[in-house]
Amino acid sequence: MTPFLEVKDCVKHYGAIRAVDGVSFAVGPGEIVGVIGPNGSGKTTLFNSILGQIKPTAGHMEFCGEDITGMSPLKLSRRGIGRTFQTLQVFGKLSLRDNLIAAAQEFKDSLAGRLFAAPDAGLGQQADEMIELFRLEHVAHLPAGSLSYGQQKLVDIAMAFMARPRLVLLDEPCAGVNPALVDELRELLSKLNQSQGGSFIVIEHNMEFIMRLCPRVICMVEGKVLAEGKPEEVQSNRAVLEAYLGN
Amino acid sequence: MKRSQRIALAVLMVLLAAAPLGLKNYGIYLLTLWCVYVMAGMGLNLTVGYAGQMSIGHAAFLGIGAYTAAILMKLGLSFWLVLPMAAVLCFLVGLVIGFPALRVQHHYLAFATLGFNVLTYLFFRNEEWLTGGTFGISGIQRPAFFGLSLERSAAFFWFAYGSTILLALLLWWVIRSPWGRAFAALRDNPIRAESLGVNITAYTLLAFAIGAAFAGIAGAYFAVLVQFIEPAPFHLTASLMMLLMVIVGGSGKFFGPMLGAAIVILLPEWLRFLKDWYLVIFGLAVVALMIWLPGGLLSIPDRWKKA
Repeated sequence: MTPFLEVKDCVKHYGAIRAVDGVSFAVGPGEIVGVIGPNGSGKTTLFNSILGQIKPTAGHMEFCGEDITGMSPLKLSRRGIGRTFQTLQVFGKLSLRDNLIAAAQEFKDSLAGRLFAAPDAGLGQQADEMIELFRLEHVAHLPAGSLSYGQQKLVDIAMAFMARPRLVLLDEPCAGVNPALVDELRELLSKLNQSQGGSFIVIEHNMEFIMRLCPRVICMVEGKVLAEGKPEEVQSNRAVLEAYLGN
Repeated sequence: MKRSQRIALAVLMVLLAAAPLGLKNYGIYLLTLWCVYVMAGMGLNLTVGYAGQMSIGHAAFLGIGAYTAAILMKLGLSFWLVLPMAAVLCFLVGLVIGFPALRVQHHYLAFATLGFNVLTYLFFRNEEWLTGGTFGISGIQRPAFFGLSLERSAAFFWFAYGSTILLALLLWWVIRSPWGRAFAALRDNPIRAESLGVNITAYTLLAFAIGAAFAGIAGAYFAVLVQFIEPAPFHLTASLMMLLMVIVGGSGKFFGPMLGAAIVILLPEWLRFLKDWYLVIFGLAVVALMIWLPGGLLSIPDRWKKA
């Protein structure tokens, strides 16, 4: 399979602390890859290094054959790379619907063109479809900041998909979500993967969620890749059991 | 906006338009001054309220607009030519002043804009050859509007009032466009905004530049309203007063600067019957308002809904 995203020897040091220490992996088109590991194992630092939030100490990243190492989040978003954050990141004073439109409007027209565009930037219908998919119709016109944590989490995830990105990095999508909704969220992500055809990289601690969603899993410990493979292989890997999953 | 709110707004606008008929010259002057500060306040509301960028240097742009108009009109240029020039000059200076906002935020940015205000004030005061220094520039002529003289206070009020409505419509259009949503995204969460393709550099600079252009226009109106300008009205105190207008009315709310300017410009005058105490009472009223209504007067309906 031709790599879609290729990360080669990514290193991020904070002084003497090696948060990410020579991580390499590749993601293919349309693939869903899970990243697991204990707290502090460098998963989010790896995400932030790929996504331009922090500058990696060393390493090389390619997306569709283009060097994206150290590229700004803005440039990466323009290349079709989306993300969610570990903590909630919605636009609190905007309505849920406006949050979704804001998530995609910058990919329409030029800067000057957007001043003269329709108020919904021609994205109203797409936002309504996303609201329907996430079953948030009853709160669509409320300020996102006034919604429950679980609802805001869904908005946060839906926003990442509004611009139909080619690659989405999801940082703990299940955190704070009602356990009853976790299965629903997994199905939603599967649907989006099929309908939009993008590749996903998912950091998650909910093992059942990740094992059912991701055909391939990477386990990180102390900034390094400890194991990589099919979910059942990683789950039964002795080193992974000792370092993360336990017996 | 609901139908009842639209009707109330239309009635209020008609009453305001008719106000000079029942007011003496000083009352009409105050109403016109309110228009000028509403123009400047709307710009500051875009920068601070909609885009979330702190600024306590807005009076500098008001001053640049006023001095541009005064100096060029003294050289014989028409107000109609000078007005867009003041707006464009302030837009360009606003772009430059927006750059610190790309590096620093909150109180650091506040001090950067404060420094800019102090610099412009010193320029207005010390560069006598251009600005007249502390003596200022006097004898600024009011323009004519399609041959109609605007020398009378009522006529000038209607002219300023109409211009304020036009600027308000322009601002409404900007904030209703996708730009308005991008400004709000920048204010609420710049890191997320950037990850969603919002060019925070462009929108930060635009928020400062458009806000400054509004103040530049207001400055040109100020010059022809007072017909005399000197550095004092563009001091840091004026910037704080304009920020107070935006916050008292409701930062990030469209009608916030209109209400805030009415409180800050008109309320002290209405309290004059208290004689020596009027500014003390005004100060206490502002303190009380900030304690109980930090979201400004226009946050009262939201509070009622929540209660």
